[in-house]
Amino acid sequence: MKGPEASEYRIARLRDRLADEEISELGVRIDMRGGYVHLWGTVSTAACRTEILRIAETELGGLPVRADLTVACATVPERPEELE
Amino acid sequence: MIRVAAVGDIHLSPDSRGLLRPAWETLGDCADMLLLAGDLTRHGTLEEAEVVAAEIKGLPVPVVAVLGNHDYHSDLQDDVTSVLERAGATVLEGGGTVLDVDGTRVGIAGTKGFGGGFAGRSAGEFGEPEMKAFVRYSRRCAADLARSLLELRDRRCEVRIALTHFSPVPDTLAGEPPEIYPFLGSYLLAEAIDESEADLAVHGHAHLGTEHGMTAGGVKVRNVAQPVIGHAFAVYHLPVDLRIDVPAVG
Ligand SMILES: [Fe+2]
Ligand SMILES: [Fe+2]
Repeated sequence: MKGPEASEYRIARLRDRLADEEISELGVRIDMRGGYVHLWGTVSTAACRTEILRIAETELGGLPVRADLTVACATVPERPEELE
Repeated sequence: MIRVAAVGDIHLSPDSRGLLRPAWETLGDCADMLLLAGDLTRHGTLEEAEVVAAEIKGLPVPVVAVLGNHDYHSDLQDDVTSVLERAGATVLEGGGTVLDVDGTRVGIAGTKGFGGGFAGRSAGEFGEPEMKAFVRYSRRCAADLARSLLELRDRRCEVRIALTHFSPVPDTLAGEPPEIYPFLGSYLLAEAIDESEADLAVHGHAHLGTEHGMTAGGVKVRNVAQPVIGHAFAVYHLPVDLRIDVPAVG
């Protein structure tokens, strides 16, 4: 099966797989835009990002991917927030 | 003034061992406590829980936590709780705890909470048993939160904080796809927070959401999911209310 429907199901499967056992990374958004599958969001480690991109490649089977995945920062905040 | 450090959704696993420890070791300089808003592990395994335990063990401030849905994934939530408690954390599910911060009594009430959606567009206790069980569970979490916040008031806490994993308000979900809002929180939590007049509500779970929100009753809500705050923790300075609360009779 080809066409937009096929890619929709592939994206849905990728979402399920990322939300599932292997990665549990719900902080990744996946959308179809102008013929590209866009992956964006913040993940916990660089290893995680690599793994997500690998899974995306296998699940999306050749659909072109544009990824913008940031690794979460484990630094001390610059300042507190004053609550009134 | 009370200094509250908080973070959620750290999703630790053996490959992230030691990741947060350097930042957390500085907490003694900038905070009076560390609140963990759930999803501390990836899949709720004991191996992952031990990684979290090693990060929190011996920190210079008290650690109070709730679990998140990921921490329930392996059906080992009770064991995960024990591992964290052995490392010194207080893990709340439907209960509360009191911290003494330089003579000020700070109460923290915690529950994982659950979904169901927000006022006007929420799931009802109707139809299939699965649907009823879903809504009933969400209601129970909210009722426990309200009860423990009120108990903390009776225990003369000057500052009271609601700690949950799921969100009490839709404000802090902005950035998430609207279709999944019902899985991200419940207005029942906000109702509990408003009824019991908490001073601050802290939650996680919505990785793509935003930090700032407020309940209908005007209680400030902060989404401290690590991808949202972009740091190892966020710090909030809460003023101490000097008004003397007389518990209502009846
Ligand atoms: Fe999470
Ligand atoms: Fe979660």
